Amino acid sequence: MDTAIDIALKFAAITVAFVVVLLIVAYTVLAERRVLGFIQGRLGPNRVGYGGVLQPFADLLKFILKEDIVPDKSTRFIYFLAPVIATMAALMTMIVYPFGPEIRIPFTSITIPLVIAHFDVGLLYVLGITSVGVYGIALAGWSSNNKYSLMGGLRSSAQMISYELALGLSLIGVILLAGTLDLAQIVERQSAWHGARWFILFNPLGFIVYLTAAIAETNRVPFDLPEAETELVAGFHTEYSAMKFALFFLAEYINMFTVSMLATTLFLGGWNVPFVDLFLERGSFLFGLVSAIGFLVKVVFFLFIYIWLRGTLPRFRFDQLMDFGWKTLLPLALLSIFITATLIFLFPNYW
Amino acid sequence: MLALLFILFAGLAIGCALAVVAQRNPLYSAISLIGVFISLACLYVMLAAPFIAAVQVIVYAGAIMVLVVFVIMLLNVEQVEHGRTRLKFLVPTAVVLAAILIAEVAFILVSVQEFRVTATTNATDIGLTHSIGSQLFTRYLLPFEITSILLLMAIVGAMTLARRGGLLSQMARVIPGAQQFPLSMIDPKAASDDLTLVETDSTEEAARLLGVDHRDRDDS
Repeated sequence: MDTAIDIALKFAAITVAFVVVLLIVAYTVLAERRVLGFIQGRLGPNRVGYGGVLQPFADLLKFILKEDIVPDKSTRFIYFLAPVIATMAALMTMIVYPFGPEIRIPFTSITIPLVIAHFDVGLLYVLGITSVGVYGIALAGWSSNNKYSLMGGLRSSAQMISYELALGLSLIGVILLAGTLDLAQIVERQSAWHGARWFILFNPLGFIVYLTAAIAETNRVPFDLPEAETELVAGFHTEYSAMKFALFFLAEYINMFTVSMLATTLFLGGWNVPFVDLFLERGSFLFGLVSAIGFLVKVVFFLFIYIWLRGTLPRFRFDQLMDFGWKTLLPLALLSIFITATLIFLFPNYW
Repeated sequence: MLALLFILFAGLAIGCALAVVAQRNPLYSAISLIGVFISLACLYVMLAAPFIAAVQVIVYAGAIMVLVVFVIMLLNVEQVEHGRTRLKFLVPTAVVLAAILIAEVAFILVSVQEFRVTATTNATDIGLTHSIGSQLFTRYLLPFEITSILLLMAIVGAMTLARRGGLLSQMARVIPGAQQFPLSMIDPKAASDDLTLVETDSTEEAARLLGVDHRDRDDS
């Protein structure tokens, strides 16, 4: 009976997490359009609801009501499967991130950790699911039976394979510092110094490499070659319309959110808000609330960087992209591992 | 509950494995193979080996199969009808190999009955990251290093095979009259200390000497 309750609770938690994530993603899209508008000296969408707050729902309605076109000579099954893979792979990593410390429910002695699934190899799970996500784009490009789509899909596969290496290597420094692959424990290790012992202080190079590789992994400006509209129309999703296009759109923004969460968890101390434990008791409800808000603020900061870059930087050329990934980012990632390992070797008792 | 999950994932694995060989379209086969790997990863999780499960997904489903799908997409393999002549030799061979495999499986199943080990339910740390790491870098260090050297050799071999051919890359353009190439660049066998310059008058001539396609790649 207990297991049944457990499973029901997990399902409820996953549902709540997915809904919250989808809401945040919807408003990221709105924020992107507004911020880009301000960067470019215009207003952006501000008509639907107060200041445009209902714009995401209007967009969603439009996506649902649009005509769903399937190309005549597409490979139908894979054409339908691709957006599903992309969205599912993007959403699946959501469950392992700890978004707050263990909290005690007020007036009871029940403590619950603010994480949905506790996983011994949480970090590897995230990397694994992310690496499966590339199929969504590659298969979409192939099944559309369109040269632009195919080129977009191929570019995207090549880009993701190349930058996955740098991404994985940049995380090794953090794993060395934390000595574990468990995301909750990695955050716990950053709780010293009143929650200010963030791993970015010891591994800044790894952080920079991670951030760059993560932007490339999510196909965002300046690495958005798979959908370079001047060369490839709309890249891998040229032939997709209506809700299927919306799923790709959604997957891209969920991926942005996921890599932002990973950056926060690994480098910026996760839910640790510095010096808040001087005022609030550790493990109390209020402490948990402040920590969770701190986590969200850091994630939103990363999302803002994404939007900011999009409004600032031009796009790479494809050969520049490959050169940068293999000849600059990969050696830098190796260097960051070397520096971190040397630090740990020189001060073995400190970590 | 566990038995149900096992049946689900094992069934998925077997079904996908059958689909790999039954499909005509190579891309469908590749996708089925990904299904096999992911089902196996789920089985590893059920066997309390999350590290191996994660590595299974990252390495096989995430890296190797991406390359396979990539190659299939790049070559855009058409559905080729195989001639009966080729199958003539393959069918008896396949039957013999299948018989050997079935015999092996039967042997293992019989042996399992003889050397039965009672299943232990107490928690061990086998399969967790910590134990795998410490064993891999102490007791099994030599095999581990040999494996990495093997992989390095494969990489170097692939690079050598890929770079064989002309000295100039496929993307090289030949501009007549604008450049004078030393003979060693055109003919590697003639490489010596005295650099003979070859002057070309037309694109076609230069291209013929260099062995590259002279047409602009964009309009081909």
